[in-house]
Amino acid sequence: MKKIEAIIQPFKLDEVKEAMKGIGIDGMTISEVRGHGRQKGHKEVYRGQEYNVDLLPKVKLEMVVPSSRFEEVLKTLSAAARTGKIGDGKIFVYDVAEAIRIRNDDRGESAL
Amino acid sequence: MENRPFSDRLASIRRDFLATGDAATALAVRTAQVDGLVLEAAAELLLPTAPAGLAVLAVGGYGRRQLFPYSDVDLLLLFDSEKLALASKDAIAGFLRHLWDSGLRVSHSVRTPAECIEVHDGNIELNISLLDQRCLTGDRALYAGLAEKLPRFIHGNRGPLVRNLAQLARARHAKYAGTFYHLEPNVKEAPGGLRDHQLVCWLDQLHGARDGPAPELEAAFRFLGRLRCYLHFQSGRDNNALSFDAQDGIAELWRAGDAAQWMREYYRHARVVYRAAIRALDSSEAQISSLFAQFRDWRSRVSNADFVVHRERIHFRAPQGLDVEPELALSLFEFVARHGIRLSLEAEQRIESRIAALRAHFAEPRPLWPALNTILSLPHAPLAVRAMHETGVLAAIFPEMERIECLVIRDFYHRYTVDEHTLVTMQNLRNLPAGYSELLAEVKQPSVVMFALLFHDVGKGVPGEGPVDASVRLARDAIARIRMPSADRETALFLIRKHLELSQVMQSRDLFDPRTIRDVAHQMETVERLKALTLVTYADISAVNPEVMTPWRAEQLWQLYLAVYNELTRELETERIEAIPSGPPERVAFLEGFPTRYLRTHTEQEIDEHMALEEKRRARKSPHGAAVDVRRLEAAWQLTLVAEDRPFLFASVAGTLSSFGMNILKAEAFANRRGLVLDTFTFDDPLRTLELNPTEADRLRVTTERVLAGKTDVRELLRNRPKPSLPSRKARIPARVSFDSEAGHTATLVEIVAEDRPGLLYDLASAISSNGGNIEVVLIDTQAHKAIDVFYVTAEGKKLGPEKRTILAAALEKACVGA
Repeated sequence: MKKIEAIIQPFKLDEVKEAMKGIGIDGMTISEVRGHGRQKGHKEVYRGQEYNVDLLPKVKLEMVVPSSRFEEVLKTLSAAARTGKIGDGKIFVYDVAEAIRIRNDDRGESAL
Repeated sequence: MENRPFSDRLASIRRDFLATGDAATALAVRTAQVDGLVLEAAAELLLPTAPAGLAVLAVGGYGRRQLFPYSDVDLLLLFDSEKLALASKDAIAGFLRHLWDSGLRVSHSVRTPAECIEVHDGNIELNISLLDQRCLTGDRALYAGLAEKLPRFIHGNRGPLVRNLAQLARARHAKYAGTFYHLEPNVKEAPGGLRDHQLVCWLDQLHGARDGPAPELEAAFRFLGRLRCYLHFQSGRDNNALSFDAQDGIAELWRAGDAAQWMREYYRHARVVYRAAIRALDSSEAQISSLFAQFRDWRSRVSNADFVVHRERIHFRAPQGLDVEPELALSLFEFVARHGIRLSLEAEQRIESRIAALRAHFAEPRPLWPALNTILSLPHAPLAVRAMHETGVLAAIFPEMERIECLVIRDFYHRYTVDEHTLVTMQNLRNLPAGYSELLAEVKQPSVVMFALLFHDVGKGVPGEGPVDASVRLARDAIARIRMPSADRETALFLIRKHLELSQVMQSRDLFDPRTIRDVAHQMETVERLKALTLVTYADISAVNPEVMTPWRAEQLWQLYLAVYNELTRELETERIEAIPSGPPERVAFLEGFPTRYLRTHTEQEIDEHMALEEKRRARKSPHGAAVDVRRLEAAWQLTLVAEDRPFLFASVAGTLSSFGMNILKAEAFANRRGLVLDTFTFDDPLRTLELNPTEADRLRVTTERVLAGKTDVRELLRNRPKPSLPSRKARIPARVSFDSEAGHTATLVEIVAEDRPGLLYDLASAISSNGGNIEVVLIDTQAHKAIDVFYVTAEGKKLGPEKRTILAAALEKACVGA
């Protein structure tokens, strides 16, 4: 099993969710986050005052998928989240040692 | 499986209840069953250890014989001494274990009579539970002693008991946002639930009231009791949440028709209970507080010719006045909106009894807007509108509101019925965080924003029509009836029509894409509308449920507001600074005639730096002299120059930068009336030339100065520039040139979207200059391979005529493709 953690543009969330649903991935955790990578933020001017917008709003998706499917999931995810511009975000992949469904103690991929 | 016998007994209650829906019998039978179990266990396990000096009391709901199927069984073990209680510890443990094993959830306390008749500030539940006690078994004399002292204790400590109880109730109401209009309410704890019904009974008891609860309150209790019984049986535990599934189940079981329709009955009952609870709380608190009495007297000074404030409630001076003058109702709500004081029960009843006449009166088109405008502008407008809604006056004026009364629209995020959501949006507008609250202060007519909020969702009550379209249609009718002036009408309809626009943009569009911002700006048209719509959006989103407006989302909305605000104020680009209010004369002379945007976009420190640059230029005393500064920013470089205006100036600098292999990201040009030009170019150094060769930055500065002084030819420099690498044909962006003569007062706006390439800005600027155009202001933005360049151009001091525009368009299109 692999855990996929993706930081994406907020306005791409619906598209990504739809794409994931399209390949049968329904379960994911979504959080509203702030951050910056190479897209360093920018300055906004409001009434002559400068506002530093150094932490940009992003959405973090987390999901755990069977190893057999994760390449497909990655491909779908990055295609759906891409605009081609700076700030599109990043995807990180981790190995998952175990998954347990608390309700009935199912283990492994059947708990996903 | 020791508790099986008990669950069997519950099963028979369940069967009977589901068949008849008779909760009173179910509660009575269950109470009797539990009594039997407790008596049996006590006789066997408890009383042999303490034949005297111990009584077993039922308290709380169990004490009232209103034990719901899976509710806790509250017992009080009354010992005449602590010593005996300690000695009976093992027996108590055995007794309780047996009850637990029988399937009861027992909640017990061990007390002496003395402990029962003292105020427990930290455990008010103990004091309150004793209001509903009854003796089950044990030492009757011991119990009689307590029963005799209790009334005196309650009488003597009414103040602290009421205060504690009220505090508990207010905190519980706050937890549910003080409303009973929840889509999935908790029938016990939520406002208007069973707990509130009990609260009314307790407060009556504390005040020694003899006449029992009003019949409508009893009807509500029967209704809610039935619901709670159903929920317990349905989930097999103490579950009081009336979820959507449970609503469907009940509607089906009792053939109550459509669940949403049936829920309206729930809200009617909850409303009766909640209003009774609030009234009981208010009057109890008023009775016990002397400080409150002082405040009350002070408040009574706000009374006027029509209304009098007594005990923190508004009364009509002459109730029959309403029969002669129906619009007295509006004056009443204006009074509420002004002073934030609620209506008295009598005033409410008076209005409710005259509601048919009010309806008939307001059904005729009348110029009501001035009165409504006043109500909606006052500080306590949300309270007034809520009172209007509760008394039926709102629906009398706007029958459109009936469509959303207690209307349930099921979705995952919404927590309230549509009418409650609407009222909450209005409350939110008066309770804004920093930033947003300043916006509200700047909005010229907050009453129009309030009106838009009132109508924004009425269309949800119209089946088969788009909700937004229906809202606009209904609002238009209402507006015509109340004769709102046309300017306000247009704003109100605009806000209703667009109320979802900004949240949709936040959700699905890139807020950092200039196109997004331009689109939104185009739709807003004015800063005033943008401000109003931002407020509507904030109030609407936050009223979905209390958690949905996270700081993250509030920040996103603010970002969007800022970007669109800046886009809209660009229209003022060509407005000039005419008078500087203060400052040293050289500063005034320097600033005079710059576009006002210059002040808006530069800090004091930057202005000082620019003035220093101008000092430097003047010191050179050469006719075409210029002063140039090159510096590194955090993620880019910046070149600033001050020079005397002349044709090709902007193009020359753009060309010089290109010849150094720099990629221009942003450029701004400002010219003042005395012909002084201040340009800034923000650029990227893709090959890190300036960073790795410190002398290069200096060479760039000197070269730019030489170009500006006419000592170096920029075309010569460009001949040596590195060949650009263009992206593949597929990724190319088609060039687009458009003109807008309305955007600026004195200049024509030329917007060019094209494939970015080194030297593009130079070519565009040259095309403008060689066609006799004068560049007043430039705003350049680059997004990946796309360049969005906006020039404010004049020819001979005027906007471009149609002929000039045609010639220039052709030249610019050619420049875009580098031909």
